[in-house]
Amino acid sequence: MGDRSQGPVLSLEGISKAYPGTRALVDVSLDLHAGEVHGLIGENGAGKSTLMKILAGVVHPDQGHIVIGGVEHRRLTPGSALEFGVSTIFQDADIVRSLTVADNIFLGHEPTRGLTVVDTRQQQRVVQGLIDELGVSLDPTKLGADLTPAERQLTMIVRALRFDPAVLVLDEPTSSLGQTETEHLLGLIGRLAHQGLGIIYISHYLEEVLHVADRVTVLKDGQHVATRPVDGITPDDLVRLMVGRDASAFFVKEPVDIGEVMMRAEGFTGPGIEEPASFEVRRGEVLGFGGLVGAGRTELMELIFGVRKASSGTLYIDGETHRPSSPREAVAAGLSLVTEDRGGSGLLPDRSVRENIASAWNELRGLLVRGERQMSEGIVDRLGVVTPSVEQEVSRLSGGNQQKVVIGRWLAVDAKVYLLDEPTKGVDVGAKHDIYGLISDLLKQGRAVVIVSSDLPELLSISDRIAIMRHGRIVDTVPAADATEQSLMRRFLGVTDA
Amino acid sequence: MPESAQTATATPPAPGSDGAADGHARSQRITRFIAANQWVLLLALTLVLGLFTGLMNERFFNSRNLISILEQSSVLGLVAAGATILIISGNFDISVGAIIGLAAVVMAIMVLAGYPEELAMLAGILVAVVCSVFNAAVSRLFQAPTFIVSLATLGIYTGISLWLTSGLIQVTPQNFNFLAGTRIGGNIPLIFLIGLVGYVAVGFLLKYTKIGRRTYAVGDNPRAAFLSGIDVSRTTVMLFAINGILVGMAAIVLISRIGSAETDTGAGLELRAIGAVVIGGVPITGGRGGVVGTFFGVLLLGVISNMLNMLRVDPFLQHIAFGGLIVVAIGVSWLRTRVGNEG
Repeated sequence: MGDRSQGPVLSLEGISKAYPGTRALVDVSLDLHAGEVHGLIGENGAGKSTLMKILAGVVHPDQGHIVIGGVEHRRLTPGSALEFGVSTIFQDADIVRSLTVADNIFLGHEPTRGLTVVDTRQQQRVVQGLIDELGVSLDPTKLGADLTPAERQLTMIVRALRFDPAVLVLDEPTSSLGQTETEHLLGLIGRLAHQGLGIIYISHYLEEVLHVADRVTVLKDGQHVATRPVDGITPDDLVRLMVGRDASAFFVKEPVDIGEVMMRAEGFTGPGIEEPASFEVRRGEVLGFGGLVGAGRTELMELIFGVRKASSGTLYIDGETHRPSSPREAVAAGLSLVTEDRGGSGLLPDRSVRENIASAWNELRGLLVRGERQMSEGIVDRLGVVTPSVEQEVSRLSGGNQQKVVIGRWLAVDAKVYLLDEPTKGVDVGAKHDIYGLISDLLKQGRAVVIVSSDLPELLSISDRIAIMRHGRIVDTVPAADATEQSLMRRFLGVTDA
Repeated sequence: MPESAQTATATPPAPGSDGAADGHARSQRITRFIAANQWVLLLALTLVLGLFTGLMNERFFNSRNLISILEQSSVLGLVAAGATILIISGNFDISVGAIIGLAAVVMAIMVLAGYPEELAMLAGILVAVVCSVFNAAVSRLFQAPTFIVSLATLGIYTGISLWLTSGLIQVTPQNFNFLAGTRIGGNIPLIFLIGLVGYVAVGFLLKYTKIGRRTYAVGDNPRAAFLSGIDVSRTTVMLFAINGILVGMAAIVLISRIGSAETDTGAGLELRAIGAVVIGGVPITGGRGGVVGTFFGVLLLGVISNMLNMLRVDPFLQHIAFGGLIVVAIGVSWLRTRVGNEG
């Protein structure tokens, strides 16, 4: 355990950060001692990445301060964070593929001979020294493009260490590593801590965290839940601390007759989906998709909707066989998709509410546009979209109302199956409630709903059955009535021993 | 605890004083008014410039001069109407000047070879459509911006017409000029009306048809358009085909006005057209705007061009004036998006 005599090398004191519609961090405090590995865990959206971005100086906190080596800072910039000794390695570490390991490590801080010529030999000497010191094997002359995921991770660690930091922040460093590589990396982290470095270790892999960390902090909904020494803690204990969120707007399930199969997806494979994925959803039924971020849920929805090319897979919708190769064909088959990224792939931001609602509707009709206004006003009334008129530019609406407009697009074409990817993300409580009400209505009308949600209480209350995804596979489908937040989280994480 | 130097610099800027906020709100209202009513401003500017020129040189108000402004505006108008559709959809066609040259040369050669004029005109439009669609097809096939693709094909089209003519000017027989010679109601040139038809057709298309909706959707957010079931490739090809028809018509009007054709007959029109569209209020990032602004943008360019001639400004300097005007228009376009974002 770390040296406590000199006080923490890093403390966060009362950090808060809000984004429009969400409070990412609420009064979070945390400290880290020299020589300590501090695990940081929490559900999707618990606030881990915001915390890390604040440490990296990419995001500035609204309140609170950061104390590094006894000096208090209101906020950091990427440059000052490094200067004060905090090095952060992000999950998708960006390696320049056309540069060597040594070049990547020195990127932006190249030693030069004369004014401009990069001193390659000196770079390699320094890098080799660092590598030897760490006791790892890495060739400084290897090109970025040829590196394995483990070598990429090592390169980023060496790069971070070159700034001689007091604190190292690692985000999911093992997510793309195999078993042996993971063990090597954990060993390295242990050695670095032993040399006096303070390390914040963010990971979904609870066993790993318990193995490498001295203490672990659990975040939930942007709030600090607990900080515990790892001695005697089990993964199950951690899961219990991570879940159990109180949702203010529950989905109230009304009894709906579940009818015949509305859509069956069979043997879908493609980018991000390694093993053939099959599932079905019935009229009046909600099939939920649960899993961690990156488990392949969004990818599967996009394969089915024809956004990405599926290598294999057949859809049966309402008794007909389809193989949509584009959203256009999927829409014609009665499918609809509300994407997670409302701004990026949902809205036409500069266009009116009317045109946003009618964008798919027009495609199914003749050349001349007629009755668009009346139709869109009907949808706006039905969904309770708060807007001065349907002519309002959609970017001027609130997040919740924008989301209603995106859903309204599919009500306009009366889709048979609704694929909803995180439909209540970044939406206020009132709009959330309205969206739940709308889903209820759709079910009563015999439509089928597939919902991807990272909000466990929502997933549990809204779904009839829940498909669990992990590493690009549907590992199981369970009745929602038999599942609990803890049992789901265990399955998402792959915690085996319950 | 030692006081850190960073604490001071990191303190968020003091909230703006109320007086400044007031002034800010007013300037925002003004810019928003400009954004929403750009064509009124353009019309006013056109009238003011016209009046000024007329005071300096009374020949400006001569009906022959005014008619010639309208005539000159008709070719640019057709090209700019096509450019309006393309820019709203997030595309550019830099090769339209070269396409006009090629279409004009083909028509002239056919007429000189004894083919009927109607057939030559049809061939001219066909050439323009094929060239424009080729730009779209290459762009979609290789996922490259149409701006860059058309910059490359510009060279191809210019080369073909140089090769066809060996670089020589093709003088068309007198009777091809009937279009330009015809006046409706004694005064209004027929070709100006043809230009108007171009605007009206584009305006109708943008406002009342599915193709128009797709144009805005693809220009505003191609990914959202794609996910709504819009076939972005087909839409792009169709918009370039429509552009081709308008450009072909422009070539016909131009050849009938000047009575001859050569490779660089349409040179420079692409930039003037894009300029007119941007001055008319379509942002260079697409997704908004309409053809009414373009109409007044073309008119303003026509009056300015005429004014510079009337005031005997060195023709070399005229280039600077037009370039500068487009830079100003891009600035206004930026202002509009900024106002929109702050909204």
